[in-house]
Amino acid sequence: MKRALILSLTILLAASFTVSCKPKVKPVPKPVQAVEQPKVEKIEPQVPVQKPRLSEEELYMAKSLEQLNSEKPLALINFDYDEYVIREDAKAILDANAAWLKRWPSAKILVEGHCDERGTEDYNLALGEKRAQAAYDYLVGLGISGSRMKTLSYGKSQPLDMSKDDSAMARNSRDQFLVIEK
Amino acid sequence: MNKRTFLPILAAAAAAVCLVPGPAAGQQDVVLTIRDGQPAISFALPPFAASESAKAAAEEVHAVLEADLKYTRIFSLLPKSYYAYIQTQNFKTIRFEDWQSINAAVLFTAEVSQAGNGELVLERNFYDVKSKRQILPGKRYQAKPADLRFLAHRMADEIMKSYGEKPLFTSKIAFVSDRDGNNEIYMMDYDGANQTRLTFNKTQDYSPAWSPDASRLAYTSYQQLTAGLYILDVYEGKRTPVSTRGGNFYSPSWSSDGRRLAFASTMDGNANMEIYAAEIEAKPTRVGRIKRLTFSQNSDTAPTWSPNGRQVAFTSDRAGTPQIYVMDAEGGNVQRISFGASYHDSPAWSPAGDRIVYVARVDNVFDLYIYSIRTQSVQKLTESNARNESPSWSPDGRHVVFTSNMRGGSQIWVIDADGANLRPLTSQGANKLPDWGN
Repeated sequence: MKRALILSLTILLAASFTVSCKPKVKPVPKPVQAVEQPKVEKIEPQVPVQKPRLSEEELYMAKSLEQLNSEKPLALINFDYDEYVIREDAKAILDANAAWLKRWPSAKILVEGHCDERGTEDYNLALGEKRAQAAYDYLVGLGISGSRMKTLSYGKSQPLDMSKDDSAMARNSRDQFLVIEK
Repeated sequence: MNKRTFLPILAAAAAAVCLVPGPAAGQQDVVLTIRDGQPAISFALPPFAASESAKAAAEEVHAVLEADLKYTRIFSLLPKSYYAYIQTQNFKTIRFEDWQSINAAVLFTAEVSQAGNGELVLERNFYDVKSKRQILPGKRYQAKPADLRFLAHRMADEIMKSYGEKPLFTSKIAFVSDRDGNNEIYMMDYDGANQTRLTFNKTQDYSPAWSPDASRLAYTSYQQLTAGLYILDVYEGKRTPVSTRGGNFYSPSWSSDGRRLAFASTMDGNANMEIYAAEIEAKPTRVGRIKRLTFSQNSDTAPTWSPNGRQVAFTSDRAGTPQIYVMDAEGGNVQRISFGASYHDSPAWSPAGDRIVYVARVDNVFDLYIYSIRTQSVQKLTESNARNESPSWSPDGRHVVFTSNMRGGSQIWVIDADGANLRPLTSQGANKLPDWGN
C-alpha cells in the first residue's frame, strides 16, 4: 500500500512535470553558419556645454588691442605720388572706417602717415603728417570726434613693400589706422 | 683770404697761403708756406721705431695716422721709398739736412714700446725741417691696445690744431641703422670705424643731432604712439624728454652754443609742422622755455642754425613747393634762398657760416648743392644719378657726410666739400640720417 502510494505520487509528479514542461527536443546538429553580426548601437555625441553666448560688444571687449589690430578692422588708404589729397577710392574706405568708429564709440585710433622712398627724409616726414591730417580731417567731417584720433608721421621709414617698382611706391604711399584704445 | 675755407679747395689756385702754427710756446717763429702748384705740405712720416713686442702696435698707429693725414689734403705724405735715403734712423739725433734733401717740410717721428701692464707707450716728436725746431713739444702717450686707433686720431687732431685747424679725427658721426632689426641710433668714428649702438627701443629712433660739446644727442623717438623728442647724454646713458606735451617732434638741430634746440613740431595742435626753439641747460640737461618761430599755414621743417646763432635756415612749402628759407633766430625777416629747382630740402649750415649745403631734386635725381651766402652762387657737390640726401658738415667744414642709395641700399657716404674723395662709411643694414659731431 505504502509502495503503491509512493509510486502513484511519483507518477503524479512525473505526470505533472510532463504536463507543465515542454517535451525536451533533442538538438539536431546544424551545419556551421556565419556568425550573425551583433547589432551596432550608434552613440550620439554628448551635447557639449555651451558657454553663455557673448554679444558683439562682449566679443569686442574680450579682445586685446593686438588681436583687434591683427584683424585689421580699419583698412588703409593710399595716396597719389607726392600728394595728400584723399582720393575717391579712399573716401569709401574712410566711410567704412568712420562707420566702425561709430559702432565702437569708445575706440581711439592713431592715424599714421607713410610715404614712398622718392623724396627726402624731412620732406617725407612733413608729407606723412599732412597725409595723416587729411584722413583725420575727413573723419572729423564724418562726425568722428578729433579727441578720438592722434596723428603721426613715419615719413619713408616704414615701407610695406621693399621693392622699387611703381606698384611698391603706390602701396607705400598710405595712411594706416591703428586702434590704440578700446 | 680765409685760409680755413679755401686751403684744400683752391690750394692750386692760391697764390701764397701762410700757415702759422698754433699757440705752442716759443714756436711762433715757425712759418709754413704753400706755394703755387704745391698743393700740400710735404709730410715725412717714417715708420715708427718699436721694440719687437710693440711692432704690430706701432704699425697700426702709423697706418691710422697716415690715413688721417691723407684725409686732410693739407699734407702730402712723402713716398715711403724716400726714407731709404735717410742715413740714420736714430730719431734721437735727427739730421735735418737729410730730410730736407728729400723735400720733407715737416717730420713726425715716434717710438713705441711696451709698458709693464700690457699697455703701450708712444713717444712722438713733430718738427719743422727747415728751422730744425719742434712744431709741437715732444710728448708721451700711454694707451691700451684697444685704444690705438683713438691714440692715432688724437695725435692727428693735435697736428691739425698746431696749424690752427679745427680737429675732426676724434669726432663722431651719429646715424640711424636698421642692422639690429628696427631703426636705432648708432655712432661711428669719422672713418667709419667703431660703429656703436646707442639706443635700444622696440619702436624706432630717428634724426639724431649732436650737441656742440658732442656729449648729447637730440633725437626723435617713436614711443607711446607719438614722435617724441629726447636728449640722450651719450656717456651717461641718461635720457631727458624735451616736451611731455602732445604733438610730434622731428628734425632737431642745436645752436652752436648748445643753449637752443630747434625742431619741427605739431605741438600746438597745428596741422602742419612749424619750427620751434627750446632753451636747453647742460649738466644736468634741462629744458626751459619753448618758443615758436614760424606761423605759416604750411609745413616748416628741417631747421639748421647759423654758427653765430642769429639765423635759422629751414625748409618750407609756403610757396607751393619745398624751398629753403633763412629767418632770424626770433622768426622774423624770412628770405628764400633756393631757386632753380622745384624741390629743395635738408639745409645744413657750414661751421664757418659761409655756406649752406642742401638737397635739390632735378629731373628726379636728388643731389647735394652748396650755396655760398656771400656770392649767392650754387655749386653742385654730388653727381651720382641717385638719391643723395641728409647732408651734414665735418667740424672743419672740409667734408660732408650724407645718405645715398647710389649702390642700391641706403648707406652713409662722405665727400670732400669740393666733390673729391667720395667714399662709403657703412655697409651693414640700411643706414641713414648722419650727423657729424664736433
